[in-house]
Amino acid sequence: MQRQVLSRRLLAGLGIAVLAGATFATNYSLWINGRTGGGVAGNYADFSYWGPAGTAAGVNKKAVNWDGYNHISDQNYLIRNALDCYCTGTNWCYVAAHSAGDLMIGYTLSLYGGTSRYKKNATPGTDGSCANSDGTTQTGWNIKWVNVAAGAGGGSELANAGDWALSEPLVSDLKTGTARALYDHNNTRAKMFYMWAGAKGTLYSFVLPGQDDEVVAYHSSGGISGSGGGSYCNPSDWFCNDLTLGTAAAQGGKAKWSNHSVAFRDNGEAYNHYANGNWQGVVGLVRNDMVSFAK
Amino acid sequence: MKPALWLASAALAGLLAWWAWPRTALLPEAVAAGGQHLALPAAAPLPAASRPQGSPFTDAALRERLAQRDMLLQRLERARLTLATYRAQTVYPHESRPIGQHPDQVHPFAPITESLPLRFPGTKAAVPGVRILTTQDRVFMSGEEVVKVSVSAQDEAGKTLPLLVTRAVAFDLPDPRQVAGRPQLALNFTGSDGVYSAQFQPSQTAFADFAGTLRLQVTLSQDGKQGIVNFDVVYQPLVPAEWGAISDRAAEGSLDFLVGLNVKQAGRYVVTARVDDTKGAPFALVTFNDELGGGAQVARLRVFGKLLRDGAPAMPLRLRDLQGFLLLQDRFPDRAMLARREGVVHRSASYPLKGFSDAEWTSEERDRYLAELGKDVSQLEGQLARPSGP
Repeated sequence: MQRQVLSRRLLAGLGIAVLAGATFATNYSLWINGRTGGGVAGNYADFSYWGPAGTAAGVNKKAVNWDGYNHISDQNYLIRNALDCYCTGTNWCYVAAHSAGDLMIGYTLSLYGGTSRYKKNATPGTDGSCANSDGTTQTGWNIKWVNVAAGAGGGSELANAGDWALSEPLVSDLKTGTARALYDHNNTRAKMFYMWAGAKGTLYSFVLPGQDDEVVAYHSSGGISGSGGGSYCNPSDWFCNDLTLGTAAAQGGKAKWSNHSVAFRDNGEAYNHYANGNWQGVVGLVRNDMVSFAK
Repeated sequence: MKPALWLASAALAGLLAWWAWPRTALLPEAVAAGGQHLALPAAAPLPAASRPQGSPFTDAALRERLAQRDMLLQRLERARLTLATYRAQTVYPHESRPIGQHPDQVHPFAPITESLPLRFPGTKAAVPGVRILTTQDRVFMSGEEVVKVSVSAQDEAGKTLPLLVTRAVAFDLPDPRQVAGRPQLALNFTGSDGVYSAQFQPSQTAFADFAGTLRLQVTLSQDGKQGIVNFDVVYQPLVPAEWGAISDRAAEGSLDFLVGLNVKQAGRYVVTARVDDTKGAPFALVTFNDELGGGAQVARLRVFGKLLRDGAPAMPLRLRDLQGFLLLQDRFPDRAMLARREGVVHRSASYPLKGFSDAEWTSEERDRYLAELGKDVSQLEGQLARPSGP
């Protein structure tokens, strides 16, 4: 009986392999890490930044690893490689990003989202790049939406203040003024960015304005527009403007970046910034959403 | 491979996979995780006595079916929102947008203003009751550009406090690609009414040939209590192109501003400008992002016809705050800036609005998206409509 099941699985695998080589539409879930990195760049099965690789995290999940140390612009080819591999031709993607991964995908879409891309075969080599499928091109990538956990697209005051190592190139990208000047955050190429904002921060509350998750404040994780940061809070705080849910402007009138929608605001101050290598913090909430909606 | 043979192979492989797949239940990832975007409504209590155990109509089975249906409804809601958002956001092309959709791009040369606590890095507290206000007029700069910065101190009520700049230096941040640690340069801050300001022009210093991040670090003292603020600029000596003449024309149902460029280094250029109506009210953001060869070139900034028809701005239009850079792929600095052109740089002719097209933007990209996102909605609607239910 066991042998029969094994042989059936072998044949099933063979059939699927042939089908995969053909141009059938497949959806993928791409996970873009933040600062510190951890996974091997180009190895889309290495989820060590996030947590156990066996954990469900959306359909056909792929870890889009970059080093989380060097500049966004230096490492951006790794993200473009992944998007070329899995989000061109008949294949479509859902994207999840954490922390500086928000800056990374925002930069990619704003500056390269309208470039001509070769359609790829979704079979990556060891460097994470894929071969062309049929030699034709398309404009931009096929992305349905983007989920962002604790987004650092608006930078962090911890980078402003010099609390992080000077020697780390990414830190200078994460200064609030620099992160916000890096690209037009409103240009997502019409993809929605759903923002999950945590508020369980205490250690750096004297540096991070308003609510924070210990690394980024609500002005960034909630996608508030502007060239600098600001102070935004939960509705329970009467002395600070509220971060609103959805796409509406924050209390006080400051608009969110276009196509940015707050999906979760941490009213209970229960979620911090860190995945802890186990899909924790706000990342856990985004994982739940990917499981339910990235099909 | 011939198409017929390929199709036959694919069909055979599909049948093989279907037949051979183990019939033992494999737990789908989604079910295993059990997460959902929104809280599910509690299942209505059902009378249990009338339903036999093991029946598809047991309480547990019905609750499961209700939960599945609720999940499908939520997925349909997300799919409809995704489709509707994409459709609405692409009525105009990505390069020609209502300025209201780019709220922080209306005045790109306005200084960055921030409010910081007074402290040293690494300390676990800030000086109470003191906020440091900073301004910085640019982050990315090239060639002969000058950055202007300022600092002042305020109390919690917004009253300006006395402040001293005790030390101000410029230095390069470590970069693995070049030798770091050039000698620091002293900066000269001058004060007036409690606001201290300085200018820094890298091209006139020992950093003239430096490409990377330069930090202006200012040590402050407010009533004997000290702290530091940092201003970073990303400097690139190269000025890759010079601006040329600007003209306008009606073309393909739209209004084009044609911005001349004398390109010294070929590559991908990103050029952006604002379009105001005749009274100066901001109307549109227009962008060019494409490859340019060397020599005399033109960056076309298009105000899309339907955008003109819908917004009906008073003519003639003004092109304002022109900026541009050469995008240096996979490098840092990732751009070489052209000189800023602040204020109104061109006024268009007066065109009758009815001469512009009121058709929505069409493209292969938009068609591809609308087809795929529409298919997602249709499939979920189909699943919900099946008599047997989900």
